[in-house]
Amino acid sequence: MPLPLYTLEAGQVVEGIKNREFSAEEYISQLLGRIEKVEPKVNAFVTLNKEEGLNRARMLDKKIRDGEQSGPLAGVALSIKDNICTKGMKTTCASKMLESYIPAYDATVIKRLMSAGAIIIGKANLDEFAMGSTTEFSRHGPTRNPWDISRVSGGSSGGSAASVAALECTASLGSDTGGSVRCPASFCSVVGLKPTYGLVSRFGLVSYANSLEQIGPVGRTVSDVVSILNVIAGSDENDHTTINSNKPTYSLQERKGLRAGLVMEFTEGADPGVSKMIYNAADTLEKQGCKCEEVSLPSVQYALASYYTIATAEASSNLARYDNIRYGFDMNPEGYEWNSYFAKARSNFGEEAKRRIIVGSYVLSSGYYGKYYLKAHQVRSLLKHEMETLFKRYDVLIGPTMPILPFKIGERIDDPLKMYLVDIDTVVANLTGMPAISVPAGFADGLPVGLQIMADQFAEQTMLDIAYLFEQAAKVQRSPEL
Amino acid sequence: MVVTREEVKHLGWLAKLEMSDAELQRYTAQIEEIISYLNMLDTIPLEQVKPIAMKKKFSELRKDAPENFEDAVLGTRYRKDGFVKGPRMV
Amino acid sequence: MATTTKIGLEIHCQLTGAKSKLFCRCSSDYRGKAPNANICPICAGLPGTLPLLNQKTVEFAAMITLALGCKFPDDIAFYRKNYFYPDLPKNFQLTQYNAYSITSIGVDGKLEYGNGKDARIRRVQLEEDPGRLVYASGSMDTSVYVLIDYNRAGMPLVEIVTEPDFADPKDVRMFLDKITSIIEHLGVCDTKLEGSVRCDANVSIDGGNKVEIKNISSFADVEKALRYEITRQRTMASREIQVRSETRHWDDARKVTKESRTKEEEQDYRYFPEPDIPMVLLGSEFVSFILQSMPELPDTRKERFMSKYGLSAHIAQVLIGNKELADFFESTLMIYLSPKEIANWIVTDLMSFVDERQKKEEDKQHLLFAGLKVGPEHIADLARLVDQETINRATAKQILGQIVRTGEMPSALAKKMHASRIDDASVLAQAVQSVFQMEQAAVHDARRNSNVANFLLGKVMKITKGTADPKIALEMIQKKLKED
Repeated sequence: MPLPLYTLEAGQVVEGIKNREFSAEEYISQLLGRIEKVEPKVNAFVTLNKEEGLNRARMLDKKIRDGEQSGPLAGVALSIKDNICTKGMKTTCASKMLESYIPAYDATVIKRLMSAGAIIIGKANLDEFAMGSTTEFSRHGPTRNPWDISRVSGGSSGGSAASVAALECTASLGSDTGGSVRCPASFCSVVGLKPTYGLVSRFGLVSYANSLEQIGPVGRTVSDVVSILNVIAGSDENDHTTINSNKPTYSLQERKGLRAGLVMEFTEGADPGVSKMIYNAADTLEKQGCKCEEVSLPSVQYALASYYTIATAEASSNLARYDNIRYGFDMNPEGYEWNSYFAKARSNFGEEAKRRIIVGSYVLSSGYYGKYYLKAHQVRSLLKHEMETLFKRYDVLIGPTMPILPFKIGERIDDPLKMYLVDIDTVVANLTGMPAISVPAGFADGLPVGLQIMADQFAEQTMLDIAYLFEQAAKVQRSPEL
Repeated sequence: MVVTREEVKHLGWLAKLEMSDAELQRYTAQIEEIISYLNMLDTIPLEQVKPIAMKKKFSELRKDAPENFEDAVLGTRYRKDGFVKGPRMV
Repeated sequence: MATTTKIGLEIHCQLTGAKSKLFCRCSSDYRGKAPNANICPICAGLPGTLPLLNQKTVEFAAMITLALGCKFPDDIAFYRKNYFYPDLPKNFQLTQYNAYSITSIGVDGKLEYGNGKDARIRRVQLEEDPGRLVYASGSMDTSVYVLIDYNRAGMPLVEIVTEPDFADPKDVRMFLDKITSIIEHLGVCDTKLEGSVRCDANVSIDGGNKVEIKNISSFADVEKALRYEITRQRTMASREIQVRSETRHWDDARKVTKESRTKEEEQDYRYFPEPDIPMVLLGSEFVSFILQSMPELPDTRKERFMSKYGLSAHIAQVLIGNKELADFFESTLMIYLSPKEIANWIVTDLMSFVDERQKKEEDKQHLLFAGLKVGPEHIADLARLVDQETINRATAKQILGQIVRTGEMPSALAKKMHASRIDDASVLAQAVQSVFQMEQAAVHDARRNSNVANFLLGKVMKITKGTADPKIALEMIQKKLKED
């Protein structure tokens, strides 16, 4: 019996539909059936786009029948993290503050994906406003890890990674501010990529920390992630922080003879089960002709403090616009004085969001600018210099994506600082603006471990080369039985 | 005391966040822990390091050509004669 | 008892000369549009939107910077000023800030504004305007809800802050006139539009506490507000009451400054650089570009009027005091080159027909010559007629008085008058004839004593009821005296 259509990779979906081996409608229907079956266990979606998804599939089928050109992602079904604006489709950021918000415009990445023929199958669950590492801070309930539904899927793009791992979509789009694409990718044993800052447009990404975040693809294979990156990357006149350059294209190539630096601070800070898998991964790479050596990145010790200073500071300001006056949820302003109305409306933020707003206001308050914010930025420069020095001798830096294995739901939720510490390996890439990818490295105690590969700014191709090399050699299982 | 309950209350006022007494209690303890952690930044001797900044050229700025946004922008149903209705000012 | 007064100003000028808003593509022409008809996701502060800095506004702000003698930093940045208010779509204002490093478009300038006085400019910066709040019942205190219009949100503003270098409200008035002249000559702001230029002020006397005065709706009111406040402070001082450091609101209706509502807690703007707007590199190329492309400043124009056209300093000053006058003058010169003549006609004669009201600042809504039907071509024509001695100055003034109402070309009117003068000539000849017949004794005397001709002239004037041209009449009389 042939494998169900929903197990196909993006490239296979595009080919299959183009060659009329199966129709887009069939494919989407099967996916919707799969979603119906596993969603009760996984809870990856906030909104499903059934009607529109099927309509677009039918339109694509007609196009194919009429012999028209279809795009490079024609028929690919994507889940989109619910903090990326989709015109006409609810975009809630898993928050009460945007409960009934329907964007008036599409994010640039959405426009590009739709032009390429992709079909949006639904909006994926996340930590409220992307602030969290487990998707437990969502008002729609946590997204569960498809490998063990008593455990967290990672965050904040938990819905994205889980939907891909659970075969509820071909691939997904998430956002990564401090590891939010790579963390859930690692926990769910899928591939997640954070591009160089400025490579992908943030127009339409609801801001959490603007100087740190990027939209990134999640897929079951490096190939799928590359296909999506090729469509979304490139400068955008609607985002002045994108780099002005020709549109990049990335390919899959197995390059030998590359050099990888294994970051000691990451492996030493990880659980033994995790670090064992990483050392195995380094061995695998060596067998493939890649040189691996241990290196040190001393400023890692300041990275989390720097990250949480900058992220909360920017968040406290970015979230100020949610006063429920122009959009939000239904609450009549009549009868209130404006300070009370604002405070009452904003009391609907979740706990973690409130905490970060307060911390952010604190670090920016009068007299503290030099002590926290400025110092945090200086740490960024320090880290960048250290990494650039290493990149003179090594093509990539590797290590575990997460220092721990996926933990039980509820385990760290009452201890914010303990929760923040899991980001130690991922924040470095956001602080320096450098690209990073997480690829499945295997399992420890039956739970997924991710290998993180980091490269210099705009050196995505090198990073992808090693990722692909490793993937082909390691052949780690991509989706659990559900 | 790294952060006092009063400070958290004042920050709540600045950020227009209404917090119950229980919340105030819980958050103050947690925020204190977080700020203590962030205080490590103070210990790093970094005066010489210049923060990196992305720069743009004057020629790369947006050209001054007006464009009308055709679709509906506002998402509230509390309107009057085109204005957005807001709470009273006093 | 002499007191020392220190006044500083904070001027906000809307860059209505730009076609779109500061950070989005919405039109800058928002006045008169239906509420919330001139907005987009960016200026309405929708989630996921990013600010897109308008190149023209940076150019305009740079021109103002140069005109005020300020220095540029190497690059400029934008900061967020964080506070909540219903007219702020993002609940922060994008502005510029110099406390951490100099990043605003201009700093440390100086402007001479007349009578050998000058004022130091602390800084020039770009920032966005908020939306507008409207009160259903007309007052903030009694409205049960507020109405918000975001059409103005995101409009580009240039803020000019001076040092407290003014000692007298009259000086402030002169300074503001100069600023207006500069802004108009640069073409960055149409100061006739309502609310396009605003000014806040701060005053202290005898080294006492500084009081800020906000909500002054026009430049004209600044002098009034300052006089009131200075009197208030002097009165308090004379009673030995200390002046509090505070912000007061100018109440336009009652013409007084009022205490602001008491603030419960202390505001903290938590400034930090806007991450979505990269620093913009200026550099020497940029400065050259601005110098080359910017319109002529009023002072430069005045110098040129004096050196090239030989105008007096006073006349030149009047012309550049209002850009419309200077433009009218140069347009006229292009038709007929007679600078001193034309300057005089404009400054002395034409201006006398301008409605007294329009000259005062309160009514700077319309063009100076709006009610008059004359253009440069009329004045050029008039000046030519006088230069060629086709008509004399007195007649010219008469003609001007008429054509400002009719719009007729002077030469056409002069022709008509000349024709009627020929008719008049025969009437005059008859009058002279009659007088010679009636006053034979005087005629006899006049032949021996030329002064008596004036007596005869008087009689001719009486008969013609004063309409005769005395010069021509006298000529006729003298001619006739010689004949007989």
